[in-house]
Amino acid sequence: MKVKIITNNPLVYSLYSEDYDIDYQEISYEGILKKTRDYVHKGHELLTHPLSGSVKPNETPFKTLLISSKSKDLNLESLSIIEKSIETSEKFVQNQKKYPADIEKDFMEIDLSLIENVINKLL
Amino acid sequence: MKLELGNIEITDIQFSNESRVKGSTLYVNKKEIENLILEDEHIKEVKIDIAKPGESTRITPVKDVVEPRVKVSGDGGVFPGVISKDETVGTGRTNVLKGAAVVTTGKIVGFQEGIIDMSGKGAQYTPFSQTYNLVLSCEKADDIKAHTYERAVRMAGLKTATYLGELARDIEPDNIESYETLPLMKSKEEFKGLPSVAYVQMLQSQGLLHDTYVYGVDAKQIIPTLIYPTEIMDGAIISGNCVSACDKNTTYHHQNNCVVHDLYKRHGKDINFIGVIITNENVYLADKERASNWTAKLADFLGVDGVVVSQEGFGNPDTDLIMNCKKIEEKGIDTVIITDEYAGRDGASQSLADADEKANAVITGGNANELITLPPMDKIIGHIDYVNKIAGGFEGNMTEDGSITVELQAIIGATNELGFNKLTAREY
Repeated sequence: MKVKIITNNPLVYSLYSEDYDIDYQEISYEGILKKTRDYVHKGHELLTHPLSGSVKPNETPFKTLLISSKSKDLNLESLSIIEKSIETSEKFVQNQKKYPADIEKDFMEIDLSLIENVINKLL
Repeated sequence: MKLELGNIEITDIQFSNESRVKGSTLYVNKKEIENLILEDEHIKEVKIDIAKPGESTRITPVKDVVEPRVKVSGDGGVFPGVISKDETVGTGRTNVLKGAAVVTTGKIVGFQEGIIDMSGKGAQYTPFSQTYNLVLSCEKADDIKAHTYERAVRMAGLKTATYLGELARDIEPDNIESYETLPLMKSKEEFKGLPSVAYVQMLQSQGLLHDTYVYGVDAKQIIPTLIYPTEIMDGAIISGNCVSACDKNTTYHHQNNCVVHDLYKRHGKDINFIGVIITNENVYLADKERASNWTAKLADFLGVDGVVVSQEGFGNPDTDLIMNCKKIEEKGIDTVIITDEYAGRDGASQSLADADEKANAVITGGNANELITLPPMDKIIGHIDYVNKIAGGFEGNMTEDGSITVELQAIIGATNELGFNKLTAREY
């Protein structure tokens, strides 16, 4: 299946930008969810869960999602999942604005691990 | 399949020249454990501490907790496929050092995870304030990756628990409990007239620090399958899940799964507890569809009247939980789900990231966002400097006297989704 990667994780970008269609933007976690919702509105199907990982939305700055590269009719299930995820993420009190570089890197690694497990199984 | 658990009650733990159990005291030779752990080249240093109930001790960041057990009779050994050979466990006799636990800590990533306070207010929120803990603080070798380090710490906990469990091999237990599950058709025949109930256990399976293993197999890779409840008691399921301290299942939780225990208590009385379906919580939505299709299909295939579903984690698994519930209900099977809540610090927000009207029987383990202030402790085991960077911690949450304010999600097991805790909510 042809997929599109939406991410704000530079590690994911550096690993997959050559082989995959990737929309990399230096925006917030929430920004990535909203960007994904824009794609869903245009008819792309959501392929991974927006709240992947038990690291909470107010803890990790990084988020990577997969959507179908082709757009069709609006997928209502995708829309429902992304809307509920945005609603959930907005609930978390923002309390950590900036991490030291080594911790940022750990967050990147976790986010990468969550998505590479999916990418590795795509045909 | 029938298993006896022989409990040897432990009420003290001490370092000694010889590892042994005498009376109800567990004596531990520190050097032998150090040598065992340092066999792994990925760990360059290990510090071993004892933490007892009531002490002014804080342990953080906790990775896993393991109960020492040994298989005295029956096939295989504890932690099959990982420590012991891959034989089917769950029969014969397993001896348990009841009251003892191995706790692992380590700085696997820089924002981790999990507090155990042995006294004070926080102690009321974690079951591991009541156990006699041998705590392993493992430092990684230079230049190894987080994945490798996580595995090394996980193995250190399991190896140490196995070493301690061996000390219980020839001891006559203080009490013996017996658990039996008959093959399906025999069970249906034997308990004809009782409603049959299965337990669907969802296993965390998303990636680094979010994994669970079944007979050594990464749960991401499984399709839902059947397992005897007694296999779980022998360590067939182990935790590689280090994220979301409050609602992750440590290996100890799996070994002592209270849903299994509670269903057994009613087995043959008012229900026929026929067994366990295990499933996963993957990131890929197609995997979620497949897994929930299979749990519903297996529940239908078993011909059960009801299921209990337990979740592990937050967010992504909420979707699996609701998919499982909905699809099982659509088969005409009554479903109860066990979860916890992220309802905001005031408890007023929507609790789950997904919902459905079919999820009409819900048990909660509590609100993970609730704030708690933990008093200062005299002794810290592990690394306190991460407390503002763990799940549920925040910048400026530690005062000068050493007290810390965190969300409940920072405390190991505080809102456990098996119900292995004291928090819940009731509506009348």
